[in-house]
Amino acid sequence: MTTKIRMTILEEFTPLFAPKTVAVVGASTKGNALPNVFIRRIREFGFTGDIYPIHPAAAEIDGLKAYKSLADTPKPVDYAYIAVSGAQIPAMLSAAKGHVRFAQVVSSGFGEVEEGKNLQAELADAARAGGMRLLGPNCLGIYTPRGHVTFTEIGPKEVGPVGIVSQSGGLGTDIIRRGMSRGLKFSGLVTVGNCADVTPSDLLEFYLADPQTKVIGMYIETAKDGRRLFDILRNARAVKPVVILKGGRTQQGLAAAASHTGSLAGDDRVWVALARQTGCMLVDTLDNFIDTLLIFQTLTPRPQRATKKVVLFGNGGGTSVLATDYYSRLDLDVTPFAQNVIDALAELKLPPGTSITNPVDCPVGTLQQDDGRVAEKILDIIYSKGKPEALVMHLNLSAFVGRTKPEVLDNLVAAAMRVQEKYPDQSHFILVLRSDGEPTLEARKREFRDKAVALGVPVYDEMANAGHAVAALATFERFKAARA
Amino acid sequence: MNKPNENPVAAARSAGRNALDESAGKQLLSSYGISVPQSRVAKGVAEVDAVMNGLKTPVVVKVMSPDILHKSDAGGVKINLRSAAEVKAAIEGMLNAPKIKGARIDGFLIEEMAPTGHELVIGGLRDPQFGPLVMVGLGGIFVEILKDVSFRLCPITRIDAEEMLAELKGAAILKGARGTKPASIEAIIDVLLKVGGDNGLLMQHAADISEADINPLIVSDTAAVAVDARFILG
Repeated sequence: MTTKIRMTILEEFTPLFAPKTVAVVGASTKGNALPNVFIRRIREFGFTGDIYPIHPAAAEIDGLKAYKSLADTPKPVDYAYIAVSGAQIPAMLSAAKGHVRFAQVVSSGFGEVEEGKNLQAELADAARAGGMRLLGPNCLGIYTPRGHVTFTEIGPKEVGPVGIVSQSGGLGTDIIRRGMSRGLKFSGLVTVGNCADVTPSDLLEFYLADPQTKVIGMYIETAKDGRRLFDILRNARAVKPVVILKGGRTQQGLAAAASHTGSLAGDDRVWVALARQTGCMLVDTLDNFIDTLLIFQTLTPRPQRATKKVVLFGNGGGTSVLATDYYSRLDLDVTPFAQNVIDALAELKLPPGTSITNPVDCPVGTLQQDDGRVAEKILDIIYSKGKPEALVMHLNLSAFVGRTKPEVLDNLVAAAMRVQEKYPDQSHFILVLRSDGEPTLEARKREFRDKAVALGVPVYDEMANAGHAVAALATFERFKAARA
Repeated sequence: MNKPNENPVAAARSAGRNALDESAGKQLLSSYGISVPQSRVAKGVAEVDAVMNGLKTPVVVKVMSPDILHKSDAGGVKINLRSAAEVKAAIEGMLNAPKIKGARIDGFLIEEMAPTGHELVIGGLRDPQFGPLVMVGLGGIFVEILKDVSFRLCPITRIDAEEMLAELKGAAILKGARGTKPASIEAIIDVLLKVGGDNGLLMQHAADISEADINPLIVSDTAAVAVDARFILG
């Protein structure tokens, strides 16, 4: 290995993200095993390269010519999907000498259980002997729209800007499914399970170099190569936002610490330190993870004018007050406008019940003036005179639907978009669509959200979700301003 | 930085010790340019007069023993001694103390008392996955009860050091709250960088030092002095 000229990380991982040949180990002639499902899924996902089912006896599987071993395929294998019982896999890999680039072992029963630890070491050795990179074991697969390969039932077909690595397979599926419904689009998602060879750090390196990827999300349970992860992140100097969802942030390996310092350090403190030093964003929940990825997918960070001053605009007085408190705890600034802004807004002579300081609280009666176009006048004043760094527009749909013309909601957002265009680079624009779970309202919300997301607007369900995402954006901007 | 024969870490390792004694710890800090109080070691009462010659009173005397981890609890620390006679009396007292009597004794550290100032703690820890970490906190109840400390992965930069201090809940105290003199932030950052920076102590000795405590670091409005230090090897 050391004598070879090292490939760039992009060259090294291209066979994984855009394979020309895929081998599938474990498909049955009856067509009902997980690998058969995988074959069906990648065909449906538009994979047009060669698929090689590997089977000791069968001549054909799912209408495809089958081969006896990974070493027997007509062309070298870029990506092998392996789901058979664990004990037989090491021999299979070492026999494939130089013929396979990436092998993903989906099977479990390895390092995640005590009795499988030796087998995992054997598996890693076999992959090394066979000259391939190993993903897993104990994972679900890869979703790569550029390569038309996926382990999931659904997932966006277009290539997007969000690159994901997940140590959990199930959570990887959740990220795709939930992310999709929120408008996330991915450059790839790799589940790495026990990380016997390829680790989240390897994929982080790839995504940092990958021109398709604009924002990186990582679900990490254990970082065996923590120092390397830190070094990669530090050297990257926040060139792309990295969002880390860390599982198991508890005391670890420190119970026996004899000193003060030892007893004060928890695993969590390491991750907090890592985030502060490298500019990556640490989040606690799957919702937070998706919310934060979404804001970086849609908005461009502005280090030169880091987000601090936020204007809240919408219907719902109590909602505005609660959000003002919440955002202030997130170190965002929702302070009342200067007098000149208030005076200019007062000249609009909006109906009673409208509050024109910040937060700007407009009952539906105000917002439906001129079928929603009134928002353009209000926002024009806010943008030109109030000069916020972010504007969160929140609409409580239950107050609109059935009470105003359907086009009012569209007009409100269209008005906001016109003001965005008139004052480019003035303010980040974020939309919160609040609902109460009532089915027709939810359907309207989904339809409306899709429209907004298509316009490049990040849409959130509640003020708090949006607040966390805006705070993450602000943190990233401040880090870049101070260090990058 | 150290010649091999001057390196207290290597010396303790080759002597088979799993920690640096206080004197060796301070020698290590001093070799990284961190101020420590002037001190001398007396093997016993007989050497006190000679040792006291170069020191300013008042002094503190501390027993040096690989068997005694908590010197104060064992009666092995006497402070505010103003003459050689007081030092000798203190050492004789220690030699008769029940928890010291049977212990192996390497000598007695006689040290100038540090000037008053803010008490801080600077620590180090080697994480199995991430390698060396550096910590800072305010001393006393802030670190003991409130656990008001901040950690960073080594090596830290100047911005990291500044942010570590700013992150402490008690940060305002360092600026001189409630009528006290402010602490020199510059002096604290300087020590943090010498301990946790690019060529700092923790990076240089990452293979040997598993835990470190500088406690207290006394910080006046102009300087920082490491008054006690523990280094655990392994």
